[in-house]
Amino acid sequence: MKIVLTVNGERHRVEVEPRRTLADALREDLGLTGTHLGCEHGVCGACTVIVDGLPARACLMFAVQADGAAVETVEGLAAEDGTLHPLQEAFSRCHGLQCGACTPGMLMTAAHLLDTEPAPDRARIRAEMAGNICRCTGYVGIVDAVEEAAAGRGDP
Amino acid sequence: MTGDHRPASGTPVRRKEDARLLTGRGRYVSDLALPRMRHVAFVRSPLAHGRITGIDTDGALAVDGVTAVFTGEHPALASVALRALSALPGYVETDQPPLARDKVRFAGEAVAAVVADDRYLAEDGAEAVVVDYEPLTPTVCAWDAGITDPVHDEAPDNLLLSRTFTAGDVDDALAGAHVVVDRDLTTNRHGGNPIECRAGVARYEAADRRLTFWSGTQVPHLVRTQLAELLDLPEGNIRVIAPDVGGGFGVKAVLYPEDVALCLMAMATPGIPLKWVEDRVEHLLAATHARDHRYVLRAGFAADGELLAVRADVWCNVGAYSVYPWTAGIEPLMAGGLLTGPYKLAHYACTVRGVTTNTSPSGPYRGVARPATVFAMEALLDSGARALDMDPIALRRRNLILPADVPYRMPSRLVDDSGAYEACLDRAVAMFDLAGWRAEQGRRRKVGGRPLGIGVGIYNELTGLGRAASAGPRMPFRTGHDACTVRINPDGAVTVFSGVTSQGQGLETTMAQVVADALGVDYDAVDVRIGDTDSSLWGFGAFSSRQAVIGGGAAHLAGADVRAKALALAGALCEVDVSDLDLRAGQVHVRGQEKPVIALAEVAEVAYLRSDRLPEGFEPGLESTKFYDPIRGAFAAGVQIAALEFDPATGEIGILDWVCVEDAGRIVHPVIVAGQVAGSIAQGIGGAMYEHLVYDEDGNLSTGTLLDYLMPTAGEIPELRIGHVCTEGANPTHVRGVGEGGTLAPNAVVAGALLDALGVEVDDLPVTPARVWELVSP
Ligand code: FES
Ligand code: FES
Repeated sequence: MKIVLTVNGERHRVEVEPRRTLADALREDLGLTGTHLGCEHGVCGACTVIVDGLPARACLMFAVQADGAAVETVEGLAAEDGTLHPLQEAFSRCHGLQCGACTPGMLMTAAHLLDTEPAPDRARIRAEMAGNICRCTGYVGIVDAVEEAAAGRGDP
Repeated sequence: MTGDHRPASGTPVRRKEDARLLTGRGRYVSDLALPRMRHVAFVRSPLAHGRITGIDTDGALAVDGVTAVFTGEHPALASVALRALSALPGYVETDQPPLARDKVRFAGEAVAAVVADDRYLAEDGAEAVVVDYEPLTPTVCAWDAGITDPVHDEAPDNLLLSRTFTAGDVDDALAGAHVVVDRDLTTNRHGGNPIECRAGVARYEAADRRLTFWSGTQVPHLVRTQLAELLDLPEGNIRVIAPDVGGGFGVKAVLYPEDVALCLMAMATPGIPLKWVEDRVEHLLAATHARDHRYVLRAGFAADGELLAVRADVWCNVGAYSVYPWTAGIEPLMAGGLLTGPYKLAHYACTVRGVTTNTSPSGPYRGVARPATVFAMEALLDSGARALDMDPIALRRRNLILPADVPYRMPSRLVDDSGAYEACLDRAVAMFDLAGWRAEQGRRRKVGGRPLGIGVGIYNELTGLGRAASAGPRMPFRTGHDACTVRINPDGAVTVFSGVTSQGQGLETTMAQVVADALGVDYDAVDVRIGDTDSSLWGFGAFSSRQAVIGGGAAHLAGADVRAKALALAGALCEVDVSDLDLRAGQVHVRGQEKPVIALAEVAEVAYLRSDRLPEGFEPGLESTKFYDPIRGAFAAGVQIAALEFDPATGEIGILDWVCVEDAGRIVHPVIVAGQVAGSIAQGIGGAMYEHLVYDEDGNLSTGTLLDYLMPTAGEIPELRIGHVCTEGANPTHVRGVGEGGTLAPNAVVAGALLDALGVEVDDLPVTPARVWELVSP
């Protein structure tokens, strides 16, 4: 089937089988491998992207379901000139990532959180990020990073 | 530029890895796309034990887009087997085929492989492969099973190895003990589960017989050596590349049958790269598991609390195959060698066994065996404290190896060079506010509220093993050294080719810090290349918290050597005695003088591009390669102490505070070190409270998805408070390894807190609300 995906502001026409997941369409068809797969059954959150303003698990969504939608992925977080998003800065400063496998999903989840709630406290951050598994960091750095970005200290 | 050199080590410089990993530009094997690439899906056994009576691949070959189907009998694979070798007396060697031959030995074992144009089609093909089995009786438990059909014919009793460690006279010491305590403990099978599953791409070029294998491996050089033997190729014709790897934790320190099958199939389809990316269901089924152990223990104490003797009988479920190349000895030998931990002990008798069963093979997982042995040892001390009516922490203090005791020869004859346990304990107790928590405990006991318990775990982590400290099975290779090449480029910038590998530990950063300081250049001037056997000379890889010690040592030595070469050349060029020269921030100075005499960039330019200026007796180029082997290891002390509350009505467990203090020696990157400690504690808490790979009695894995296999999230892991003590390691950068220690204590801490809160001894892990409820319900 022919579908149209607007990813990070850029329109793409893609030919996909109905069974192709959005994650595979992004990774394989568009070459946007920043969106990661950790379980392919909706638990780990590594594949989290923003679809029409809401976080979605790209492994649980068919690409055809996103036909006509605006999709935001980790590749779209930094500014065009390469300036990092405050969350990216804060993740680096607070060691909110180690291997980077969970990181795209963490960043997109956190970006949505801060877009909707500018000043969450640590408990709130933990609750909201609890849909994403990180196997490396023990979460301390991730919670620190989201808190720091929320406080506006993530700006360079 | 002031010419001042600010050391990079000891400061939280920005990680070299972050820019790409934060922007979705990481280079993981799963991301790799190559021209003409095809995709592989494995057909896996649904049976734990059975004879293969037939495989029909016709249906699969009829699927549009499927280009080939391989089975264990395919000529490309039929003669190859992974055989983990060890010179340990009595060890039974067994074969693991790349794809099952004749019989299957665990549910999830790869039986056939389908090659297709994309992953979806490969999976369609895999579904269309029909395998007939004749079931055999499976063995699932390693200690209470009658054996009908042995897993391997070579081991009719399913015993692949056993070894007894002895010191002193245990019977005698127990007879004279004031109290004797017994425990019978089991630990829960669980595994590493990195967020990126296993992945590989193999490409073979027939014209020059070259194989390139991109693999998310922790041990690329070892993989190259092993592949050379298994594939019958010259080692120089094989290039193994581990680019960005999404977590490892030991699971990726194994060469798997799927890896070998992928390479063999690639050799059978020259010019066509084959890609396999594991999904999580396969990972839970067939990547190595760990920690399925039983400990039957007896300990004797003197009236003053002195630990007199320990007797231990240990069974480790090693699964269906002896893990390649580490062997089935990896867990049992570590268990017997390090059971006694940080405690002085003269009388010790411990028999460890590696028992094969029809379950996924056990392999290295962060902390190898010691989360279980620390649980066992601390359980004995907690029981001893109760029997003696002594404070559990005081009893531990009574028995710790102290600085005056080191080097201390453990009863297993490993030599402990740390002795920092009490220093860690003092610091942990202070950070934790033990008195405050004891008061709160008393208050709750008086006025009500959820019972609160304090648990403690003390451990030694054997890091950076040199050739003399190998605690492992006697394999045909002996780890100990790594190499590092430091090259100053013609423009004066530095490229480092290090033998270390990274699965998130930030080794590009750490190696750059070490080299920058050894050489005398800025951190930003150093670029580090790792994970490619064609560019770095040698590294055994990531395991046993070895790389900061050993890879860091090699980086320091190579950096210092290049510095000496650069200064010698600068001295000759400037006609200054080299002993008067200093290299700081990329500038060569006469010692004590502010203004540099020459820039490193100019020295490098001469070394490569200006042979007309090259002084007599100097070779062109500026590079050095050094190996480092610490010979012994660097023991690292650690203590964790936590306050937990339990709801006796529901079993619910709450973590109120968790403190960890470790001795990492001199710290290169404080934030990376803290991150290693935090991450390993989180995995330890996962193992202590949540993660459990459960087989039913027929050998079916009943926790086959992340809905059943629970890994802790930000909602479960508490705030972790991490402190340090520093006793410098005897190696060039004075570090001790980190990364595993954190996993070692949580079992003991949670079990100890439960005992302290409610007076119940937990013998079987994990400590879940259901288990708590069971134990406290009348
Ligand atoms: S990959 Fe989508 S939730 Fe795990
Ligand atoms: S950084 Fe490795 S999984 Fe989160």
